[in-house]
Amino acid sequence: MLIIRPLQDNDLEALYAMAQSAGKGLTTLPADRELLQRKIRHARDTFDQRCAPEAGLYLFALEDTELQRCVGISGIQARVGLDEVFYNYRLSVTVNASRELGVHVRTPTLHLSNDMTDTSEICSLLLSDSHRGGGNGLLLSRCRFMFLDQFRRHFSEKVFAEMRGVSDKEGRSPLWDALGRQFFDMDFTEADMLSGLGNKSFIAELMPKFPIYLPMLPDEARSVIGRVHDNTAPALKMLQAEGFNFNGMVDIFDGGPVVEAFVHNIRTVRESTDRIVMIRSIKPAVDQVDEQADRSEIMVCNGSFQNFRVTTVPANCVGIETISLSQPVASALGVEAGDRVRLAPLKDTGRNPTYSRRDADHAGRSSRG
Amino acid sequence: MWLVRPAQPGDLKAILALAEGIGPRLSSTLPRKDEALAAKIEQSVRAFQNAGGTTGPDETLRFLFVLENTDTGDVRGVAGIDSSAGHGQPFYNYRKDALIHASHELGVSNRVDVLYPSHALTGHTLLCAFTIDPELKGSEAFELLSRARLMFIASHRPLFSDHTVVEIQGVQTENGEVPFWDSLGRHFFNMDFETADQHSGALSKTFIAELMPPNPIYVTLLTPEAQAALGQAHEKTRATYELLQREGFQAGAYLDIFDAGPVLEARTDSLKTIVSSLSGKLHGSPTDDGERCLISGGIQAQFRCTVTSMQEALTGDIKVPVKAWHCLGLDAGDSVRVSPC
Repeated sequence: MLIIRPLQDNDLEALYAMAQSAGKGLTTLPADRELLQRKIRHARDTFDQRCAPEAGLYLFALEDTELQRCVGISGIQARVGLDEVFYNYRLSVTVNASRELGVHVRTPTLHLSNDMTDTSEICSLLLSDSHRGGGNGLLLSRCRFMFLDQFRRHFSEKVFAEMRGVSDKEGRSPLWDALGRQFFDMDFTEADMLSGLGNKSFIAELMPKFPIYLPMLPDEARSVIGRVHDNTAPALKMLQAEGFNFNGMVDIFDGGPVVEAFVHNIRTVRESTDRIVMIRSIKPAVDQVDEQADRSEIMVCNGSFQNFRVTTVPANCVGIETISLSQPVASALGVEAGDRVRLAPLKDTGRNPTYSRRDADHAGRSSRG
Repeated sequence: MWLVRPAQPGDLKAILALAEGIGPRLSSTLPRKDEALAAKIEQSVRAFQNAGGTTGPDETLRFLFVLENTDTGDVRGVAGIDSSAGHGQPFYNYRKDALIHASHELGVSNRVDVLYPSHALTGHTLLCAFTIDPELKGSEAFELLSRARLMFIASHRPLFSDHTVVEIQGVQTENGEVPFWDSLGRHFFNMDFETADQHSGALSKTFIAELMPPNPIYVTLLTPEAQAALGQAHEKTRATYELLQREGFQAGAYLDIFDAGPVLEARTDSLKTIVSSLSGKLHGSPTDDGERCLISGGIQAQFRCTVTSMQEALTGDIKVPVKAWHCLGLDAGDSVRVSPC
């Protein structure tokens, strides 16, 4: 069974191994034991409410209960830019116009901005190679929205994600070479690494503060502004399906886009519903399952802040008012019969358990059978 | 003899011919169209007339002088003074300045050159529109035309600012391309330098300047060609540049917003011509021998300036050949000003 839970101290080695294999490009989780240890401690303090809500760093682990090992991680930073300065470029337009001259020229312009300050960021998604596919990435990503939904007052109304921008195999970023490097003679990979070690705002302070007129940059740099790295395209697509949109902000280093959504508009949040737990004693035989039955997966989470858990169950476990869980699943979620749990479809194609009565009826019947 | 005198409406054709000969160049100070140039001459005539009624630098005071060969009556050069740069509108330049981008934490300190749009030179006296027949470049007439303006300033000092500036043409290739314009201004106008230049002549330089980006520009983001052109004078301005340097003008932090040519600055009262000039009474000299010097006389519209030999000027009597008197339209005992060449 795969289950989402808060990150723990004993996840360090697994986390380090994952960070190492992820390599460059994942600035928030560099392969540095001490730094990862600090992050874990920070996350522990956050879930135990030993730090101020706005300083919170929520890191979730995806645990394979058979391996008893963390195989993925994802996170939410409660607020950015509060103890350091959070920089982005805003991509906007400058118009020069004169009727007398017949001139009307639009110039795309980058303005340095701190607009994302005090906003919640979803970050740090990393999945072990051994567990790619099967919706595990979706679970890691979307479990965060279930958490956001249940504990909204700990977060801003709007959340955002910074997407990794374009760089080549050698780790060269065309935007960095054309812009950042002109002001700070350092390779992108090095700057990126320093960023991950918490020096991003120091580097940002060396960067240009005045607007940058894009026609002054070479074409290859201009063309990557607001574009994601090929490896990040699936993550972007997933967030777009959740209702996240490009908000006009880009990363100051590689030009990767920032996407954002209001929490109440996030698809997972909108489609979440409550059910009462029923513990079922008989395991339904797989071959008994009706061909017509809904086999899509449903995310189920408990309502605990400190011991938050999410796992997936087949949609046919969901009844009109109840959800039937096997004892191991209920135990893993830390719930008992009669407890209230929250559910949301895992995949975009998953049918909504709330809105379709026919499906719900059907699912209810098959779960009884 | 060579004579510098205020421009007259009758000089229109000659000035136009000179202006056309100078090739693509920001023409805001010397329009290449009949009507615009006629208006400019008219404005200058009024300025010379009205100069007596004003007590300080004034935006309406835009003087235009011509260089005339008194033997033939040919006009071979033109030069101007704007009492107050910008003449009532903002006078645009870039100021090249430096910022230090430093991080204590990273132990890094980088110098970043930035061009700031500036109006700081607005209201300074501006020497402008200097155009001369290329054959005369480097000659005595060349020096006369340029420095006659300073003689005029010396004898009409209250009309001018304490600071005098001159814009020097920047780098332009043989094909007429201006690297600085192509790297910067062009993006905001979508037109080449020459087209922008024509608009600038037809409307005003300020008009064009106001369409330029209002924010500072990072030098490092300009093309290498444009960076190399910053503060560089066009090859053909060398003689002018050197003459102005001898006068005490210095290139500072200011650059032209279109071609990044240097803007030379000086304190008006420190200019060599003004410091070294002295006034006296006009007297005759029996010979053509003596030290070559600029001599000017007359006020406002009667102002004339020429080059002559001078016997002596120690006692307050300035002894020059009589033909110089005629050239200046003056008589013995009239008050004149001289400055050595």
